Amino acid sequence: MSSFSPDELTARRLAGQAPGPSMPPAPGTGDGSLVDDPAVRAPLVLNNRSFHDITEIVCGYAENKPPRWWLPAFLFASSLAGFGGLMILYLVITGIGTWGLNNQVDWAWDITNFVFWIGIGHAGTLISAILCLFKQKWRTAVNRAAEAMTIFAVICAATFPGIHIGRQWMAWFLAPLPNANGIWPNFKSPLLWDVFAISTYGTVSFLFWYMGMIPDFATLRDRADRRLRQLGDSAARIAPFVPIRTDKARAVIYGLLAVGWRFSSRHWHRYEAAYLVLAGISTPLVLSVHSIVSMDFATSILPGWHTTIFPPYFVAGAIFGGFAMVLLLLIPCRVLYAHMKDLITLRHLENMAKILLVTGMMVGFAYSMEFFIAWFGGNAFEVDVFLNRAFGPYWWAYWTMISCNVISPQVFWIKAMRRSPLVIFIVSFFITIGMWFERFVIIVSSLHRAFLPGEWHMFHPTFVDIMIFVGSCGIFLTLFLLFLRFLPVFPIAEIKAVLPQASPHADDHKKGAH
Amino acid sequence: MSHTAASSHGAHHDPLSRENVTLAGPHPMGFTLVGVGLVLAVVALIAGFIGAGGVTLKHALAAYHIGSTATLAICLGAMALVMVFHLTNAGWSATVRRQFENVMAFTPVAALLVLPTIAIEIATHGKLFLWLSPEWANDHLLHKKAGYFFWPQHHEPGHATFPVFFVIRAALYLFVWTYLSRRLWKLSVLQDATGDRFLSLKARFTSSWGILVFALSTAFAAFDWLMALDFRYFSTMWGVYYFAGAIYCGVSVVVLILASLRRAGKLEGVVTSEHFHDLGKLMFAFTVFWAYIAFSQYFLTWYANIPEETSYFLHRQSHGWQNLGIILMAGHFGAPFLILIFRGVKKSYNALTFMALWAILMHLCDIAWIIRPMAYLPTAGDAGPGVAGVWLDAVGIAACPLILTGFLLRKVGSGTLVATNDPYMPESLHHKNYV
Repeated sequence: MSSFSPDELTARRLAGQAPGPSMPPAPGTGDGSLVDDPAVRAPLVLNNRSFHDITEIVCGYAENKPPRWWLPAFLFASSLAGFGGLMILYLVITGIGTWGLNNQVDWAWDITNFVFWIGIGHAGTLISAILCLFKQKWRTAVNRAAEAMTIFAVICAATFPGIHIGRQWMAWFLAPLPNANGIWPNFKSPLLWDVFAISTYGTVSFLFWYMGMIPDFATLRDRADRRLRQLGDSAARIAPFVPIRTDKARAVIYGLLAVGWRFSSRHWHRYEAAYLVLAGISTPLVLSVHSIVSMDFATSILPGWHTTIFPPYFVAGAIFGGFAMVLLLLIPCRVLYAHMKDLITLRHLENMAKILLVTGMMVGFAYSMEFFIAWFGGNAFEVDVFLNRAFGPYWWAYWTMISCNVISPQVFWIKAMRRSPLVIFIVSFFITIGMWFERFVIIVSSLHRAFLPGEWHMFHPTFVDIMIFVGSCGIFLTLFLLFLRFLPVFPIAEIKAVLPQASPHADDHKKGAH
Repeated sequence: MSHTAASSHGAHHDPLSRENVTLAGPHPMGFTLVGVGLVLAVVALIAGFIGAGGVTLKHALAAYHIGSTATLAICLGAMALVMVFHLTNAGWSATVRRQFENVMAFTPVAALLVLPTIAIEIATHGKLFLWLSPEWANDHLLHKKAGYFFWPQHHEPGHATFPVFFVIRAALYLFVWTYLSRRLWKLSVLQDATGDRFLSLKARFTSSWGILVFALSTAFAAFDWLMALDFRYFSTMWGVYYFAGAIYCGVSVVVLILASLRRAGKLEGVVTSEHFHDLGKLMFAFTVFWAYIAFSQYFLTWYANIPEETSYFLHRQSHGWQNLGIILMAGHFGAPFLILIFRGVKKSYNALTFMALWAILMHLCDIAWIIRPMAYLPTAGDAGPGVAGVWLDAVGIAACPLILTGFLLRKVGSGTLVATNDPYMPESLHHKNYV
């Protein structure tokens, strides 16, 4: 029962000085979150964490010394990124001929990578926008990391069309800017719509991500400031002989990022309204971005590309691939970082495994519809393209796609499998491979055989092709590692709001109010 | 927390009291409406047979087929949402799920109501289904696709071939939908009787494989019964298109039921404006989703501009059908989008009732846009039945929706109005939408 003057225990809990009401995990519930009783909602945070614990845990990731593996991992990832950057430089000064493209296959790895990365981002937007509108409280455990991943994936994706144009110094022609020659991009081309769709998507995703972090930046700022006051001259420096104190730098940088947030209820009121508006704007973006990417293909009359189900099929595939990537990143983090298992429970992983199963079958549904309509359409070329996909020279790519995307998630029908982080990790890995191959199959297998046999060419990737993709993985990992090191990895206030003690009815059962 | 404890919280009476969650009994008008619907169906078909006022059997079947496939969509939409509620462990929907189940319970009958059209089509060698007609038997495309309809038989021009595979599939859909709707219904009422909350897990399991079977059967039923009327046309999106409209009007029918119950003074404190808000959001979401699917399907066809696909739309963009297309754009998407976006509309019983009626009308227009141009194909010297065709449409289209209404009048009153022992009932009773 809520009242104006809470009892001492409630007051201490609300102040973060006492742990929440104790709920010993029942036997057979894994870490306590795998409750199979439909009358009981699984706890979203384990181990009776108080409000203060949440702040300590989440801020700790950014404030404490990074774990021992962090620096080697960062050096490795950034080396890959750097090497990929060098390959891009080589491409720019030499030309697109360094790729394995030929007369027939003029879109291959680069566009595959582009669609792959754009798809990865979708899980972040789905979790932050659509699951927010659906009031799925479990999203609080993963939304920040997924949103960060979205931004990084969009950055990787945007690289590829940029370098694919060949003359990079003309890249500004992608945007419809007035120029002396009166040359405009083709407004009827989906490739131009892509420029708009992706820049809108990148902008809105960034705003969503950044706005969500503002209160957490303020927390980090205030903590640094308090330490600075307490420790005074004895506060640690950034490095020996550098006359800047670490907490001073934090207070300034996080302070600037927090844009004057003071935790006033008026701030929160506007924050909530803005969050809902951004969620509303982002929701159609989840659908529109990959729909437009799919139109790059589907508006053509090329057999294998022109099919009406492409827009929702690409969206489902994007969410599928994106969730696999979220799991691929968060399952190791959960093991490597202290207390992260309390925030990302087995139930969270199980929910995401179920989403993988659903979206995997949606993708499978689209694959089968494509095959059926290819036959039912009665177009010999269409039939041939699909048979060629499955049994032609690229059969291995096709069956990699089918086994990774359609068959591998089927293990999640078994409860034990979708509750095992290791199994989920392995399946996510397969799905990530499968979703890359899906785009490769769509693009290359439809292109490599034109209507005349004289135009049939196989595509063979070059070293530059491969290393630019590896480099993009390096960029992605580098950015994600920096995120883990310096930014609030969880939304502190949103997690506090789903703790049991945040509910005004948390103590009802003890008092026998009814 | 038991629900008596939860529901008495802050209220003077128990929201789940017997008088609040039951009606006096099945509505006496139920059988009358079913009878009227059946009579209308028979009248339409007889008018078609005897050719009254220039109408033919083709026109009568088209009108009836619009009504029956639209009614089927309503039931399938309700069934899909019941499964989604189970699959997502949805809390808010516990107090409204029973009404979705009532609509779902009509699915087997709705599927049966489609069958007379198919039977007459086969018996009369294709009045409406072009591929059954001897006129098209020499068509090259039909030769390529004949296996989809006639397998294992060979379709030879000049012979009336029985469409074995087509009929087998129809039987399969009927079986799947009957099994799923019966099973989900039984588990729900069993929970009412026994209070065993673990039945929810069984329903969830049924829904898990059920939704997969549902997706495939609905998509192929839409191919068979709607898209393949004109066998030349093909679209991978077609199943999703039918599904999108199905959910939209499935929710709308439930809104109508719940609003009538609230107006009758029932479900006080059980189904509140908060639930209507969520149902309104579902309507909003699916009018947008329908537009997304319809636009994508049209747009990709328009852009690629390949004759074998565009002929379908070209026919529907001429001979006056373009007006129906514009009505759909404005009425199935434009107006509901602009109106339902307001929170006040979604929370108001009256406004949402109007929007639900509108949605069902638009859904009928949508299906009519698919079917009616098939019966009124422009052939030389055939001016069509004119005004008599409009009368026939009114009679033929109304038949199946009236039968559904009559069924619901009996069904809703014959049991409790909510799934009283649903484990999420306390959550649903306290459901609030604030963010």
